[in-house]
Amino acid sequence: MIPPRWKKVLADLFSHKIRSLLVIASIAVGLFAVGMTTTTYVILAADIRAGYLAVRAANIQVISSLFDDDFVERIRRVPGVAEAVGAYNARLRVHVSEGKWKPINIRALYIDEMNEQSINKVELLQGTWPPADRQVVIDVNKVVETGAGLGDELEIKLPSGTVRRMQVVGIVRDQTIGSTSGEGGFFLAPIQGYVTAATLPWLEQPEGFNTLYATLSHDREDRHALSLVADAILEEFEHNGHTTSSSVVRRSTDHPNLPYVDAMVAVIYSLGLLVVFLSGFLITNTLSALLNQQIEQIGVMKTVGASRWQIASIYMLLILVFSLIALAVAIPTSQQAALVLLEYLAVKINFTLRGLRPVPFSTFVMALIALFVPQVAGLYPILQGTRVSVREALSGTASLQKDGDSLVYRLFARLRGFSRPLLISLRNTFRQRLRLALTLLTLSLGGAIFIASFNVRFSLENYVDRLGRYFVADVNLTFAQPYRIERVTHDLQQVPGVGRVEGWGGALAQIVEADGNPGESVQVLGPPAASSLIEPILLAGRWIQPGDENAVVLSELFRIEYPDLRVGDTIRLKIGPKESDWIVVGFFQFAGKSAGLFVYTNYDYLSRETGLPGRAGFYRAVAADQNLSQQDREWLGRQIEAHMTRRGYQINEVTAGSAVKEDTSKGLNILTTFLMVMSLLMALVGSIGLTGTMSLNVMERTREIGVMRAIGGSDRAIMKIVLVEGCLIGLISWLLASLAALPISKMLADLIFQIIFDNDAMLAFDYRANLVWLGIVLLLSTLASVIPAYNASKLTIREVLAYE
Amino acid sequence: MAADRFDMPVVYDSMGDIVIRMRGITRTFHSAAGEATVLKGIDVDVHRGEFISVVGRSGSGKSTLVNMLTRIDRPTSGTVRVGDVLIHELPEGRMALWRGRHMGVVFQFFQLLPMLSLVENVMLPMDFCNIYSPASREARALELLKRVGLEGLAHKLPGAVAGGQQQSAAVARALANDPPILVADEPTGNLDSRTAEQVMGIFAELVEQGKTIVMVTHDQVLARRTSRTLLISDGELVNEAVAAAFPGQSHSALLRLSKLASPVHLLPGVDLPDTQSPAAAPLYLLMGGELLHPDHRPGYPLGPGAIVDPLAGLQVDLFAGPAGADLLSLPRAEVLPLLSPAGDSLPPLSSLPESGQAQDGLHPPGSDL
Repeated sequence: MIPPRWKKVLADLFSHKIRSLLVIASIAVGLFAVGMTTTTYVILAADIRAGYLAVRAANIQVISSLFDDDFVERIRRVPGVAEAVGAYNARLRVHVSEGKWKPINIRALYIDEMNEQSINKVELLQGTWPPADRQVVIDVNKVVETGAGLGDELEIKLPSGTVRRMQVVGIVRDQTIGSTSGEGGFFLAPIQGYVTAATLPWLEQPEGFNTLYATLSHDREDRHALSLVADAILEEFEHNGHTTSSSVVRRSTDHPNLPYVDAMVAVIYSLGLLVVFLSGFLITNTLSALLNQQIEQIGVMKTVGASRWQIASIYMLLILVFSLIALAVAIPTSQQAALVLLEYLAVKINFTLRGLRPVPFSTFVMALIALFVPQVAGLYPILQGTRVSVREALSGTASLQKDGDSLVYRLFARLRGFSRPLLISLRNTFRQRLRLALTLLTLSLGGAIFIASFNVRFSLENYVDRLGRYFVADVNLTFAQPYRIERVTHDLQQVPGVGRVEGWGGALAQIVEADGNPGESVQVLGPPAASSLIEPILLAGRWIQPGDENAVVLSELFRIEYPDLRVGDTIRLKIGPKESDWIVVGFFQFAGKSAGLFVYTNYDYLSRETGLPGRAGFYRAVAADQNLSQQDREWLGRQIEAHMTRRGYQINEVTAGSAVKEDTSKGLNILTTFLMVMSLLMALVGSIGLTGTMSLNVMERTREIGVMRAIGGSDRAIMKIVLVEGCLIGLISWLLASLAALPISKMLADLIFQIIFDNDAMLAFDYRANLVWLGIVLLLSTLASVIPAYNASKLTIREVLAYE
Repeated sequence: MAADRFDMPVVYDSMGDIVIRMRGITRTFHSAAGEATVLKGIDVDVHRGEFISVVGRSGSGKSTLVNMLTRIDRPTSGTVRVGDVLIHELPEGRMALWRGRHMGVVFQFFQLLPMLSLVENVMLPMDFCNIYSPASREARALELLKRVGLEGLAHKLPGAVAGGQQQSAAVARALANDPPILVADEPTGNLDSRTAEQVMGIFAELVEQGKTIVMVTHDQVLARRTSRTLLISDGELVNEAVAAAFPGQSHSALLRLSKLASPVHLLPGVDLPDTQSPAAAPLYLLMGGELLHPDHRPGYPLGPGAIVDPLAGLQVDLFAGPAGADLLSLPRAEVLPLLSPAGDSLPPLSSLPESGQAQDGLHPPGSDL
């Protein structure tokens, strides 16, 4: 027979199922959070790295004037180069819906390279690879935008206006999208298509290569080694008479969306640890109530010979059993949750998930926490409970928290105009002060994180909206070649609805490093100096002004890549074959590290530097009506495109202003979704805490409830007393949460903004979050109170007064 | 060896004849309402094999006194010696183990652990104190339950049996480690008379087997079935002889008498002390020894419990017997009202019975003994 003291452990487990479930839930929620976050992080970190390594991403990418296979062979012989591949990238347009065309980047490769995939390997998801001539394979990330699926035909518009139909024969995942600075990052990248080199003439493109991809044979993680080899390659380009317009150097593990991963990991760990912390308080609270209910039994055990430590060991074993059950629940559920999260992230962040698999480290961490945290959390209640004297325990005057003649009681005694039942609710709320404090701590902190998550989300959304100030124009137009601004303006303004038009200069440049070699690629934009179609978020210095000559304002990524760069310094840019010095007059905040290097300068100076004075390839059109909806803008864009095409212009792209903002904000949306998931976890922790407290409060007061019923208290009156108490706790927690949310919002927002933008947050408060949490917490309070109160009210008075 | 890993029950002989000695026990409680001294300097000796009842009104301090004895509570001052151990000095942890081995405690509300069966409740003290081998504990527990008539209900939970059966199980639990001393606080307080009788029967058997039992009760009828009664009034012990001599009197009156009484010891052959003034002459309560009459009159010698008036006729010449005599001197003015309705005089000597029943004639009206 099991010794009675251990039999008591099992009996306690099953005798009060609700109480046991609450304790298990308290432990499980913390373990779940840790398990989910750890598994997600481990698999994410491993798979994103391993997946990117497996695609053999190019360490060096150079865009230049046309070159041939012989030149590629020459590059292969450059010391340090493992492999080199030539490709042709063309920006064309694809028909996505009625009257709407979107940009598509067509990459052409030799069929041998497509079969071998020695660099920038793509993963075939559906169909076939490589395509045959005049067929196309599409990258999965943007295939939805085409409106087409496997086997469908895409209409590709060529610069001449000719439309080619190409069948989609395969769908692939290309993890390297966004790896070049010039593209503006993954989220801004256009639809990606892959064709054979033999298809190029059919697409009115020249035969040959305009892009070189190369990998290093060793030191692929060493930026210095990468730069040296890149310099050597660029020298080859120069010596062979090829003009480079862009070069990018990347380590083999630098997945383009790592900044978002870093931000998510920071959120994962911060909030995951917080959940464990809150869970600890939850456990303490629930265990305090459990010990409180067993005070008399503790007294009896002491009477029949049990020492304090024998009694403590009983409860420590009980906690261990609870922990093991919670662990058994949390391990599979956290793995499933991690899988769901990883599958979501794999699609959103563009990496290949190698499948959910056991993560021993995660299980180990969960087991470690399961073994120690509940024991530590239970230490105080156990020590308190076992310290009670036998006399106090048996007399019924013992309680882990004393009802006192406290200030609160005296305060309530002075209240006038309140009914006795309401006063009972008010006093009951403050009766078990330690339990109330722990409940409020859990619920308030959970609510504060919930509200803070909304605030951070709101801040990011506000920031995204703020980004829209970079795209004030209603319609953005990109031509295949520069046209005279005067002519374009005149023609555009013939379209009904078009008001003001601005022509912007633009170029792809390269930073010239200190050693004189070309470095990172930079997108240079040249609006008119007095343009009102852009409202930048300045971080330092000033914006470009009329009269500025070689002044530039740099995006936030410059401050990371070149931390010594300051306002007033000079940088050297290579635009085409020409190198020139530019003075840094300011820094602006854009869409984060993954958006790439952007530079703004005065149109007049840029157009002279590029040899295109009075001409531009980029135009911004403002509608005469200031209040256009997105649909209206898109309609106007279609009208503009049709009109300009009829007039013989070669158009690369027409977009409504907010569409560009939406593309930019997609990465941030992932973060906000992530925050919502974590905040719901917080809400869950808080709700378990409140449910536990209210259930235990009512359980402990069952005898009182019986007495009240015996002296005339109706079921309704009893339930009202309990509900008011529950709602009062909820209301107090809401007030505390609203206050705590202020600094927590700032901390969380700063954390995310620092990772994404390398800057403190532009914090905005979403007061709807407070109202939402108020509603949630009142609902939870009601639900947490009504069920136990109802159950208690249904017992007979005899049963209740005999209740132990 | 298995025998090395568990202990055997305490040996009674090692405790001596006086198993419990309490001296100067006071207990003061401090609360928001102020201080309350519940026990005010109590001295008690309990001899081996006694069956003692502790009686008193509600709030008199009887349960508090018993708590001193079991060390469920600690005295504010005074000493409690059980055997040769000053238990009031033991720290809580050691006291729990000591209590488990030396005392069995029976509570008014049974206090069985609700989630353990009756047999498991009985096994619990053995488990905690590591008494008897683990393999033999269940058998012993079943034997104890059989002894109290519960062998058929051994595996039931307390909630599934009647109150009297729970109390019987509690008694069995108290006997689990075969302690020499049993302390019961209102053991029949929650029982019907039939079940109470059963429990008292078990106690009587245990006393016959040599256990020492101290029982708190408010039931005078049950108290009379014990070998000795301690009457507590307002935190003080009434002199046992006074309580026995004046049953039916108010506890406060008895306590007052106890305080006014003073002990007198007569050596063998010594006369009762002379009195100077008849009005001040005390009455004597014979507590021990005997008083002889020089003329060897019928009804003499007088034994313990007799009330003696040295002014009354034949009792003038009384003297202590061969073993001496222990008397309590009582103030006449306090005692007379207790002995006659008019309260002014003793009954005439002629009314004294002729032989051996002098006691009866001197008992106050209303006495039911």
